[in-house]
Amino acid sequence: MAELQVEICGVKLKNPVIAASGTFGFGREYNEVYDISVLGGISTKGMTVEPRLGNPVPRIAEGKSVILNAVGLQNPSADYFIKNDLAFLKSKGIAIIANVAGKTLDDYGAICAKLDGLVDFVELNISCPNVKAGGMAFGIKPESIAEVTRVSKSSLKKTPLMVKLSPNVESIPLNAQAAQKGGADCISLINTLTGMAIDLEKRKPVIANNTGGVSGAGIKPVALRMVYEAAHSVDIPVIGMGGITSGTDALEFMLAGARAVQVGTANFTDVNAMPRIIAEMNAWLDSHGVKDINEIVNTLKLN
Amino acid sequence: MKDLKATVKSNERIAENIYSLTVTLPESAGEIHGGQFVNISTGDSSHLLRRPLGVAKVEGNDVTVCYQIKGSGTQNLATLSSGASVNILLPLGNGFNISGYKNVAVIGGGVGVFPLVATVREHCKNINFYTYVGFRNKSAVCLLDELEKSKTLTVVTDDGSYGKKGNAVEAFFADAANVKADAIIACGPPVMLKVLKTEMQKRNVKTPCLVSLEERMGCGLGACLVCVCKKHDGQNARVCKDGPVFDIDEVEL
Ligand SMILES: Cc1cc2nc3c(=O)[nH]c(=O)nc-3n(C[C@H](O)[C@H](O)[C@H](O)COP(=O)(O)OP(=O)(O)OC[C@H]3O[C@@H](n4cnc5c(N)ncnc54)[C@H](O)[C@@H]3O)c2cc1C
Ligand SMILES: Cc1cc2nc3c(=O)[nH]c(=O)nc-3n(C[C@H](O)[C@H](O)[C@H](O)COP(=O)(O)O)c2cc1C
Ligand code: FES
Repeated sequence: MAELQVEICGVKLKNPVIAASGTFGFGREYNEVYDISVLGGISTKGMTVEPRLGNPVPRIAEGKSVILNAVGLQNPSADYFIKNDLAFLKSKGIAIIANVAGKTLDDYGAICAKLDGLVDFVELNISCPNVKAGGMAFGIKPESIAEVTRVSKSSLKKTPLMVKLSPNVESIPLNAQAAQKGGADCISLINTLTGMAIDLEKRKPVIANNTGGVSGAGIKPVALRMVYEAAHSVDIPVIGMGGITSGTDALEFMLAGARAVQVGTANFTDVNAMPRIIAEMNAWLDSHGVKDINEIVNTLKLN
Repeated sequence: MKDLKATVKSNERIAENIYSLTVTLPESAGEIHGGQFVNISTGDSSHLLRRPLGVAKVEGNDVTVCYQIKGSGTQNLATLSSGASVNILLPLGNGFNISGYKNVAVIGGGVGVFPLVATVREHCKNINFYTYVGFRNKSAVCLLDELEKSKTLTVVTDDGSYGKKGNAVEAFFADAANVKADAIIACGPPVMLKVLKTEMQKRNVKTPCLVSLEERMGCGLGACLVCVCKKHDGQNARVCKDGPVFDIDEVEL
C-alpha cells in the first residue's frame, strides 16, 4: 500500500481522486452504488446564486471515445445545496469542492461569500461553454480571468479558491498566470472542449443547444498537454482532468504536474470508475516501488 | 442498484431489426419491476455511454431486454454471442406502480411494447390486462406470446399487414366503451404518448394514466441532469431517476 494522501492548499485529501463537477451531482446517487467516503473529494454540480432549469433536451450526444453535453447549469441554487446537501457530504469525510458560476462579477462575489467557510474549496467555473451566462465570457482573456478571480477571492476569507480553466482559449500559460495573479490558491483544468455532433438524417445538431462540451477518453492527450503547460507556468497547485479512465491515466496527469485529478465522464461508462482508479493507482505505485504518490508529481522527463 | 458483469445467454433476432438479449447475472440484483430499465455496455469500448433498455423479462438471475437496432450501439449489441460479457447497471428507475388496480389498459407502440411485457408478466395473476399494441408492419410484430397473459390482446399495424390497420391509441379508444379500466399504462414513441394525452383530454377520460418516457442519458442514476423532462409545475424531472414512468398529467409531452 503506497501512501496516497495529498495536501492541496492545506487541505488533506485521503487520495488524489476527485469526482468532476457535473458528472456526480452532490454525491447521493453514486453513494447508493458504493460508499463515496473512499474518494479524495467531490466537485459539486455547478451552482449559481439563483436556481436554474438549464437547457432544452437532448443535452447529450456521443462520438467515438468522447461525449458531448450541454446541460446548461441546471442546479437548485447554492442556498439549496447549503441547506440540503452539505451535511451529507460532510458526513462522508471527503474534500468538498463547491463548483460555482455566475452571469456577473457580482454573482461570483455573492456566491463565494455564501460558501466561504462552509466547504474545502470553491471552484470557479469560468469556462462553461454551454450557457451564455455561464461565466465563459470571463474565462477567455487573461485580464477578465484575473478580475473575476480577484472579486471571488475578496469574498473568500477562509476557503481556498480553485479557478477552473477553459481549454477553448489562446494560451493556457497566460490564463493560468492570470488566475494566479488574481489570487487563485490553485487551478483546475480542463473543462470541456466546444464541439458539435450532427444527426445526418435530420440534418440537425444532435444537441438542442447545437454545440456541446466534449469530454471523455478521447480528450486526454489535449488535457495532458494543457495540464503540463499550466503546471509549468504557475507556482500554485494544479488539479488535472480530461479523459481519465484508469489509474495509469491519473498517474500520467500527476507526472505532468497535477497534485490531484478529477474524473468525470468515466463515471458514466463505469459507475465504479473512481474506486477502481484508486486501486489501480495503488497497484502501479506498489509494482514500481513508489512509497508515496507525491514522489511522482511533476517528474516528467521531457525528450 | 448494482453494476454487474453479466454473461450473454442468448441474443436472438425476434423480428425485423429487433433482438431479444438474455443475460445471466452473477448474483441477484434485488427486485426488478416492470417499467424499470438497465444501463448496458455495448461491447464496443469507443462507446463511453451505456444504452438504456427496458427490462422485458426476469427469471431468477436471467434478465431479458429487447432492442431495436438504431445506431452503432445497438448494432454492436447485436453482434454479441452467448458467453460474451456485458456490464449492466440495474435495476434503474421507478417502474409502473399499479398494485391495487384490478383492470388495467396497456397501450404500447413499437419498442415501447417491450417494457410493458415485464409489467404484464409481473401482475397478470392479480390484474386483468386489456392490451393494445401497435407495430409498424407484420415483420416488426413480436413478443405476442408473452402478452397472451392479458385478458384481451389487440394487435394493430400501421399498414394493416397484421391485425387491423391503425395505432394502439386508436385501438384502445375504439374499445374503451367495452373496457372499464381503472388505470392505463402506456409506453411508446413521443407522438403516441402525446396523442394519448390529447385524446384523453378531448374525451374527458379521468382514468389514472402512467406513461414511460425516453430521453438521452448520461449516468442513468440521477446525478448528471442530462435526461430531464418538463413538468407542468415548471420544474424539471430526471427521466432516469424520477421516472421513466410518470403520471400523464404531471409531465409535458
Ligand atoms: C428508459 C428507457 C428505456 C428504453 N427501452 C428500450 C427498449 O426496451 N428497447 C429499445 O429498443 N429501445 C429502448 N430505449 C431506447 C434505446 O435506449 C435507444 O434506442 C438506444 O440507446 C439507441 O442506441 P444506439 O447506439 O443504437 O443509437 P445511437 O443513436 O447511435 O446512440 C447515440 C446515443 O444516443 C442515445 N439514444 C439514441 N436514441 C435514444 C432514445 N430513443 N432514447 C434514449 N437514448 C437514445 C444512445 O443511448 C446513445 O447514448 C429506451 C430508452 C430509455 C430512455
Ligand atoms: C454532463 C457533464 C456536466 C458537466 N457540468 C459541469 C459543471 O457544472 N461545471 C464544471 O465546471 N464542469 C462541468 N463539466 C466538465 C467536467 O467537470 C470536466 O471538466 C470535463 O468533463 C472533463 O473531464 P472528463 O473527460 O473526465 O469528463 C461537466 C461535464 C459533463 C460530462
Ligand atoms: S442520466 Fe444522469 S440524471 Fe438521468
